[in-house]
Amino acid sequence: MYRTTLYNLYKDKSRLINFFDWELPLEFSSILKEAKATRESCGIFDVSHMGKIEIKGKDSLSFLQYLTSNDISIIKENQLQYNLLLNNYGGIVDDLIIYNLKNSFLCIVNASNTKKDLDYLIKNKNNMDVEIIDNTFNYSFLSIQGPSSYLVMKEIFGNKILDLKYMHSISKTFKDTDLIISRSGYTGEDGFEIYCLNKIAPYIWEMALNINKDLVFPCGLGSRDILRIEAGYPLYGNDIDEDTNPFEASLEWVVKFSKDFVCKEKLIYLKDNIKRKRVGFILKDKALPRKGYKVFSNSKLIGEVTSGTYSPNLDKFIGMVYVDIDFAKENTFIDIQIRDKKYSGNITSFSFIKRRKKNESFKVFKDT
Amino acid sequence: MKVLKFSKTHEWALVEDDFATIGITDYAQKSLGDIVFVELPEIGRKLKQNEQFGVVESTKAASELYSPLSGEVIEVNKEVINNPQLINEDPFNKGWMIKIKISNIKELDNLLDQDLYKEFILKEEK
Repeated sequence: MYRTTLYNLYKDKSRLINFFDWELPLEFSSILKEAKATRESCGIFDVSHMGKIEIKGKDSLSFLQYLTSNDISIIKENQLQYNLLLNNYGGIVDDLIIYNLKNSFLCIVNASNTKKDLDYLIKNKNNMDVEIIDNTFNYSFLSIQGPSSYLVMKEIFGNKILDLKYMHSISKTFKDTDLIISRSGYTGEDGFEIYCLNKIAPYIWEMALNINKDLVFPCGLGSRDILRIEAGYPLYGNDIDEDTNPFEASLEWVVKFSKDFVCKEKLIYLKDNIKRKRVGFILKDKALPRKGYKVFSNSKLIGEVTSGTYSPNLDKFIGMVYVDIDFAKENTFIDIQIRDKKYSGNITSFSFIKRRKKNESFKVFKDT
Repeated sequence: MKVLKFSKTHEWALVEDDFATIGITDYAQKSLGDIVFVELPEIGRKLKQNEQFGVVESTKAASELYSPLSGEVIEVNKEVINNPQLINEDPFNKGWMIKIKISNIKELDNLLDQDLYKEFILKEEK
C-alpha cells in the first residue's frame, strides 16, 4: 500500500481507508462537518495520491492535443485547463487537469488511472519528441479550499498570491525549492492547489493548520466526495469511464472540434446521437441514493444512479444519474428504488451549488 | 427494575418490566460515522428476536438494524427520523429508536450484559 509524505502527521488523527492502493484519510472529525467547514471557512486536503505526469519535449503540445478533446493551444503559460484523455472510440480514458508550464505540461490525473494513463501515453508516443516523466511519488499535491482559503495562502506565501486568477498558476520559491501554486480545486469553492516536492509538503500542511484552528480544518476523502457532487463534478470510475463519451457525460464544453484529435470523427457523429445523458437530481424524500440504484419515471426504468450522497450544505439527498435522453430535462419527476421502496425527486441543473468566485459567499441554486 | 442488554449486532435494549427501548450502541455509531438516514418500522409491527426492524445509513455505509428481542412495536422515535445525527450525538438517550412490548422475556438470556459486550467489541476490533 502506498502512503503520502504526510501519512505520519495524520495517521493517528484520522480514520484511514484504502483508496486504489493508497492509505488515505477518509475523515478527521466527521465527513459532514468537514464538508460544511470547507464551504463556510477552509478545508485542507492531502491529494498527493493523484497522478502527476510531466510531458516534456518539442512535440509535447501536438502529442497531448492529439490524445485529448479540449484545445490546449488556447491556454497560455501559467494557465491550466480541464481536459479529457480519450480512446479511439470516444470513450474517456481519464479526466485530468493540464498545466501549461514554462518547459513542460503537467498532467494531474486520477490516482485510479495513473498506471493506465502512463501506459496509454507511452503507447501513443510513436516517433514524437516527447519525454513522459512520472512525478507521482516524488511530488506532493495539497488542496486548500473554501472562502477563507485566501487568508491561509496569504499567511504562508504573502499578499501577492491573492492576484492569482482562477485556473492560473504561479511558480514560487519556497524553502529553496520550486513549487507551483494554482487557483483551482474540486469543490466548487474558491481555492488553491500546491504542487511541491515531498519534503516541503509537511511544512505547508502544518503551517496551514496552525494558523487558526477555528478557520482551517484538515479534511479527508469523504468530504471531498460530497463537495465535488455538490459542485456537479464527475468522478472517474463512478460517473465517467471508457464506456461513456463526453457528450453523454455532459462534458461537451470540453470538446473542441476546431482541432484534430484521436476520435474526432467518432465524436462528431456521437454529438447528435447520444441515447443517455448525465444529469443531477435532488430527492424530495429522505433516503440515501447510492451508486447502482435504479431510477424510474412513471414506472419506466430510465437509468441508474452513478453518485449519490447527503449534502450537508443543502440538507438534501442529491446525486448524479445517466437517464435516457428523452428524460434528461430539468424538473422531470423521478423515483429512485432504494431497497423495497421508491423515493421521489426531480432532475435538476447540474451543479447544486454555484461555483464561488473570489470572496463571494456561497449560493445555493433554488430547488424546486 | 431496569436491565441494559446488548446484541452481537450492536443494538442495545433497556428492559423495564415487559417493555424494552431499543437503539444502537456507541461503538456502532462510531464505526458508522455520520448517520444521515434512519428507517424504522410502523407501530404495531410484531418483531421476532434478531429480525430486521430497520436501516441506518451513514455517509459511508448502510447498516441493517436487528431487534434484540421479540415483541410488538409500541412507539417509534420520530425525532431520530427527522434528525438522524441524534444517534451519533447521544446513542443511548435521545438516539433511541423503538419501544416494544416484549413477548418472550426468556430471550434476555440470549443477550450480552455490559461487560460481555465490552469484551465482544474488543475481540471484534482485533
